[in-house]
Amino acid sequence: MTDDRTLLQRLWNLGCSLKLAIYVASLATLLIMGGSLVMPAHPEIFGGMDAAPIGEWFAGAWARAPQLLWWLPLTALCLVIFGLNTLCCLVDWLIHLKARWRKAGEYLIHSGFLLLLVGYLWGNLAGFRSGPHRLAAGETLQLPTTQYALRLERFAPDFSAEGRPLDLVNEVALLHAGQEVARGTVRFNHPLLHDGLVILATSLDQRLTGFRCFLPGIGMVDLAPGSRVALPDGHTLGVLNLLADARQTGDGRVIPVGERLGNPAMQLLLLRPDGSSWQGWYFLREAPPLPLATTGAAPQPLQPLAGYVSLLTVNRDPGAGLALAGGGCLTVGVLFAMLSFYRKRARGDRPQV
Amino acid sequence: MPGKTLYFLLFALYAAAVAGYAVHAVRRHSWLNRAALALVSGGVLLHTGLLVQRWLLAGYLPVTNLFATLFFFSWALALTFLYFELRYRLGATGLFVMLLNLLLLGSALPRDTKVPALIPVLDTPLFELHIIFSFTGYAMFAMAFALGVLYLVQARLATAALPELSLLRRLNEEAIFLGFGLFTLCMVAGGIWAHIAWGYWFSWNIKSVWSFLVWLFYAGMCHAKFVRRWHGGVYAWLSITGFGVVLFTYLGIGLLLESNHPLE
Repeated sequence: MTDDRTLLQRLWNLGCSLKLAIYVASLATLLIMGGSLVMPAHPEIFGGMDAAPIGEWFAGAWARAPQLLWWLPLTALCLVIFGLNTLCCLVDWLIHLKARWRKAGEYLIHSGFLLLLVGYLWGNLAGFRSGPHRLAAGETLQLPTTQYALRLERFAPDFSAEGRPLDLVNEVALLHAGQEVARGTVRFNHPLLHDGLVILATSLDQRLTGFRCFLPGIGMVDLAPGSRVALPDGHTLGVLNLLADARQTGDGRVIPVGERLGNPAMQLLLLRPDGSSWQGWYFLREAPPLPLATTGAAPQPLQPLAGYVSLLTVNRDPGAGLALAGGGCLTVGVLFAMLSFYRKRARGDRPQV
Repeated sequence: MPGKTLYFLLFALYAAAVAGYAVHAVRRHSWLNRAALALVSGGVLLHTGLLVQRWLLAGYLPVTNLFATLFFFSWALALTFLYFELRYRLGATGLFVMLLNLLLLGSALPRDTKVPALIPVLDTPLFELHIIFSFTGYAMFAMAFALGVLYLVQARLATAALPELSLLRRLNEEAIFLGFGLFTLCMVAGGIWAHIAWGYWFSWNIKSVWSFLVWLFYAGMCHAKFVRRWHGGVYAWLSITGFGVVLFTYLGIGLLLESNHPLE
């Protein structure tokens, strides 16, 4: 029994040890210093560190380059030991609170650090990061692993005189199981926050919305999905679909390849005066399909038409509240510690001048 | 925005103060010390005026390029020195600290003083809070660096021109304690801003990582002062090393590496 108590006492003393704190923090510092200098040299590995929770990123990166990443789990171990050491110090202080209450500021700082560590762990274990998601005005995005959906109602980028985007104004509505639960204007430094979700304006992009074409007998016309043009000879040409980058599969289906302009294709409907119709795909970089060519209804594409789409990032960090509490403890702790320092100085405990 | 005349006048005031402290270190006339202090005070007043003028003209705290941050850092360091000098009458230590300040201001002056328009990503009070606490913290760390160097000099020379070793050590501890506190507030403001701007409060971009290293290092320094064996030269060397970490974080990353941290 005495041996157990002695062992426990020694373990506790180790846990509260100042030297342990210094050694572990020093080791963590050296590991991070070295590792961080490897990071910029390998953007293909480290470039996506912030795009996903750290565990998710690490699992993928470790499979590709363990030799570049060994310092990370060691650092994590050091920080966990440092955190446990901090917790032991905090508990020890609480046990001796009557005698050491004047150190409240310093121990609030300890508490704040602990809350940040736990908040970081929790956020990365239980949270997610997604995006950037391309959304045009009027479109709705189902958010991952939640019953939330995000509807972009209006998107208005603000440009400088030189054409640089200065701000991105997104009017969004957040839906839960189809019901609107929040709405707001999302722009730089003004995210929409709800239930741990953070919805941010990240960037903008352009999306192909149509093509300016020349139609024989008509002249210049803008064709986009939903367009209908009555041709002079009684035919009617309608646009059913437009793909910015498409390819045809072996079984004749046309599928989208990407959102950026590449090999554009337009799905057209040609209504003939006799009531018959033709429907098919027209790859705009190639010769028009025969039914269009023979009726003289083939639009000649002149230039693509584009509209802006918003790129929105949606993150969830369940640990953010804890981290904010940690930040609060750090702030209050710093202020208390400084007040206590100057009070001690005022009482005469100051360097000899 | 006025021309650079006032900026050069500011440099001249600080340079004259350095000269005053240098002569005082040799001749030990108290009026030299007072004159140097008056020059530093005058410089700080002018420096503050220029900063306020730039702030009013710009509509925001102008710290968005290298000139502006160096200028602000120099102001913070001069203010820090003034604080220590008025509280503790450090005398010849002003030579080294103001020389450091002269280097900061001197490296800023060749650059364009124009204040660029504020971009929306920086348009938040958290940016200003983050910067103010960051550079006032850096100024304290710079002061600690200076005191660490002077400690080692005094340990070698034992000159009457410098304060006693015990005083230099305790002032070093004070500078590090205050610097750590201010830098903690910088990290809190930065973390909140990062959450609002990026959706996460800690980023693995190299600037954020090294800022955490600065915080961790000085957290260690706050504990190191309780290790008796380290009270002397070891603590001084750690202060000097810490400032190396600060300089790399502030200047090295921006000049040598890429980061998505604003202002890089």
